[in-house]
Amino acid sequence: MTVSSRWQSWRGPALWCVLVLPPVRGALESSIMLHMLVQIPLLAVAGWWLSPLLPKHLTDTLPAWNRSGISGIVLVSVVALFWMLPRSMDAALEVPWVEVAKFASVPLLMGLPLAISWPSAGFVVRGVYLVEVVATAFRMGWLYLISPQRLCSNYLLGDQQGLGKAMLAIGAAICLLLAWKLMWGHIDADGVRRR
Amino acid sequence: MASLTMYPDDEHLTGSARFAFNLYMITAVLLVVVFMLVGLTMRMSQTGWVGVPPKFFYQLLSMHGAGMVGTMVLATTAVMWFFLRKYVRLHLWAFVTNYVMFMAGALCIIFAVFIGGYAALWTFLYPLPTHGMGMWSPHASALFMLGYLLIGVGELIFYLDAAAGIIKVHGNLGRALGLQWLFGGDINPDHPKTVVASTSMIIANSLGILAGAVVLVMSLINIFFPQVAIDALFAKTLIYWFGHMYINAAIYMGVIAIYELLSRYTGKPYPLSRVFLWGWAATTVLVIIVFPHHLLMDYAEPHWFLTLGQFASWGSGFPVVVVTVYGALTNLWRSNIRWTMPPRLMILALFGWVAGGFGAILDGTIRINLVMHNTQWVPGHFHFYLLLGVLAMALSLMYHEVGRRTNGPPNSGSDRVGFPVYVIGGLIFVFAFLAGGHASVPRRMAEHLQAWTFTDKLGSIGAMLVVLAMLYFAIRITAGLLRSSRSGGADVGAADAAG
Amino acid sequence: MWVLRTLLASLVILVAGVAALAVATDGFRAFTSETARRIDVREHPRALPSTPLQTADGQTISFAELRGRWVLVDFVYTRCRTYCSIQGTEFAQMQQRLAAPIAADRVTLLSISFDPTRDNPAQLAAYQRRSGDRGAGWIAARPTSASGLRALMGVFGVTAISDGLGGYVHNSAIAVVDPQGRLIAIIDWDKPAEAERYVLRGEAP
Repeated sequence: MTVSSRWQSWRGPALWCVLVLPPVRGALESSIMLHMLVQIPLLAVAGWWLSPLLPKHLTDTLPAWNRSGISGIVLVSVVALFWMLPRSMDAALEVPWVEVAKFASVPLLMGLPLAISWPSAGFVVRGVYLVEVVATAFRMGWLYLISPQRLCSNYLLGDQQGLGKAMLAIGAAICLLLAWKLMWGHIDADGVRRR
Repeated sequence: MASLTMYPDDEHLTGSARFAFNLYMITAVLLVVVFMLVGLTMRMSQTGWVGVPPKFFYQLLSMHGAGMVGTMVLATTAVMWFFLRKYVRLHLWAFVTNYVMFMAGALCIIFAVFIGGYAALWTFLYPLPTHGMGMWSPHASALFMLGYLLIGVGELIFYLDAAAGIIKVHGNLGRALGLQWLFGGDINPDHPKTVVASTSMIIANSLGILAGAVVLVMSLINIFFPQVAIDALFAKTLIYWFGHMYINAAIYMGVIAIYELLSRYTGKPYPLSRVFLWGWAATTVLVIIVFPHHLLMDYAEPHWFLTLGQFASWGSGFPVVVVTVYGALTNLWRSNIRWTMPPRLMILALFGWVAGGFGAILDGTIRINLVMHNTQWVPGHFHFYLLLGVLAMALSLMYHEVGRRTNGPPNSGSDRVGFPVYVIGGLIFVFAFLAGGHASVPRRMAEHLQAWTFTDKLGSIGAMLVVLAMLYFAIRITAGLLRSSRSGGADVGAADAAG
Repeated sequence: MWVLRTLLASLVILVAGVAALAVATDGFRAFTSETARRIDVREHPRALPSTPLQTADGQTISFAELRGRWVLVDFVYTRCRTYCSIQGTEFAQMQQRLAAPIAADRVTLLSISFDPTRDNPAQLAAYQRRSGDRGAGWIAARPTSASGLRALMGVFGVTAISDGLGGYVHNSAIAVVDPQGRLIAIIDWDKPAEAERYVLRGEAP
């Protein structure tokens, strides 16, 4: 085993361990923006990096139930929806077992299934998913900006509105990036043939 | 280079592809007849010839608007699919998924309107759908919006599959649009116009669908949680981005039929030019940003936004129209065209598109818009380009396909009667609207004053002629498409064109 | 076969996911913790702990002693210049409107400080005076221990966080405690009329 492949196996658990450290956890949960836009995505990344540790018999049998990565992407979407509920955010801060559930479910039910499913997803499945991601970012941003009340009892209104603006910016950035790539980039999905 | 063979082999439909194409086109012509009857009922109720309760009138108006826009896109999607599949690999499952989702969405809309009583028009402008005042429940509005979501996602799936196919052949969408040839370089004469037009609509309409996906879900959230009050003006902005793009996509997907078919009937090649590429590149940009011209009466919009709408609508109509009409006319010039149904419909379509577009450009001018926008001028112009333009484009392909399955381009005696009835009826119908607009008759009104009924009667008579002709077309096309293919039909067609 | 299996798997995930979301949102009714606490209190009235509370005049009381009458409770901190000061005025006005049932010992108003280290009896008295206290039927009090404060905030579902300016942001509301000493409803802080209807006629909002 080379150093780099060993690192590839262990960087997922390592990132997870860093995120679970009380000072890191405290800092990343101190504002709703850090919580939703840094901690949860990083937990998902940790889960994505877990994929080399998956036992072989699972990687062999799963694709039969996960054609084009559709089942996995459905799972990711449902779990993401759950962690987008303001109520879940509050509960994660107030109820210890919900926090445990977050630290387990975001890597295992979001990051990991995405890592397994994304490579087998074709252009159409990826496209629908990405359009939905962009649309959801816009919808959430809009909602956070117009909500007259605090949606999370544990976070300030200004913080919530900052998150709204950040969501709109993220949606716009993904949209521009995708548009740029489709218009002028090199897309080698399924091996591009030039005439 | 699109070949001049009348019925080339690579367009030949077999098996499930043929079944899917027939499904699209037969559904489309039948729905058009049904929704035309809905429209005729409304016009006749305005004259007082039939009694339609006002509440039911607005239900019919909602059904007619949503139904016709959806059906136009359904038919022109089939046009795009029919020709694009020759150049890139399209998956039948994507084409069929779009159909299934369209029909599921259409069912939702029909239930919402006729069972739920939804009457907040095809534009579902916030907050009207949530305020049915007892005439319809918010749940009917929710069902209507769910229908739109299904139709939008179906179309998106079709576009994504088409984009994947195009990218596999051309590398990226920019090259598919021919952007590399805008400022020089040797244009590949074999670069298909169909790919250029399809790419343009994939880009523009996917953005429109994205806007729709955002505003539809926000409206749905508002229905179930009224305390989440969304900004009505911003919602309207997104709705028109979505709605404008959607109906414009019908035009620009439909025009593919002219690019592909016209030269076969004139017998003259119709080469790709730099001007053509410039026209489409400009239109791709302009058609995305032109939607503010629907909001010119919303004085609360920022000025730059409204000015953008005005200038973009002057600009967006022109490039492709000019390029296409000029190209088509030069193609027609001194050609030995034999006038059969497909070329007749194509020339009609060009006329309808240009004339209707002219009305649109006038209405897109702020000073004129302030006077004309709430009058029947507006239905006048869009019926002009939809009825005499877009529908004629789709019909030309259907007739062309009917020809493949019989003895070459159709031109029966009843066709020769049906076509002028359609044109004359259509002209009477749209000019009645335009004249109504000239006389300041307001649009979207169930009850009309006595003084307005002259143009209503004229319009009703025109609409009756159109319905008759369209009913004939629908039967003719349905029967024609269902006929089993003649063997060797392609050669007959080619000989026909050469003759 | 692959297609069917994937369809089946996706369907199972979707159904399970929707079920989980339904449970997590009380049947798609509560998407925020604030709505959730209100629904929970309404559907499962909560027994209150007999935490000792020190009032503005130095006496010690508890919810047990207030049994037999309706109690309208809010949580404040007296340094607050925004919501809590309006809430104080609001309670003083309710004191006036509910004078008859208060005199008949059927209703009591109670403001509890969640900042007991600063809000000593003198501060509490000053808060009431500033707000226009009418003299009878409005008690301002503080928990006497940190554990008591935690217990009260827990059962009432009160969250107070630092506003970054030395004060707090908290989920202000009017809590309704019935004569059996149970927390049965939580009402918007700016809808005192709803709270009054509740205690006068037993009308749930």
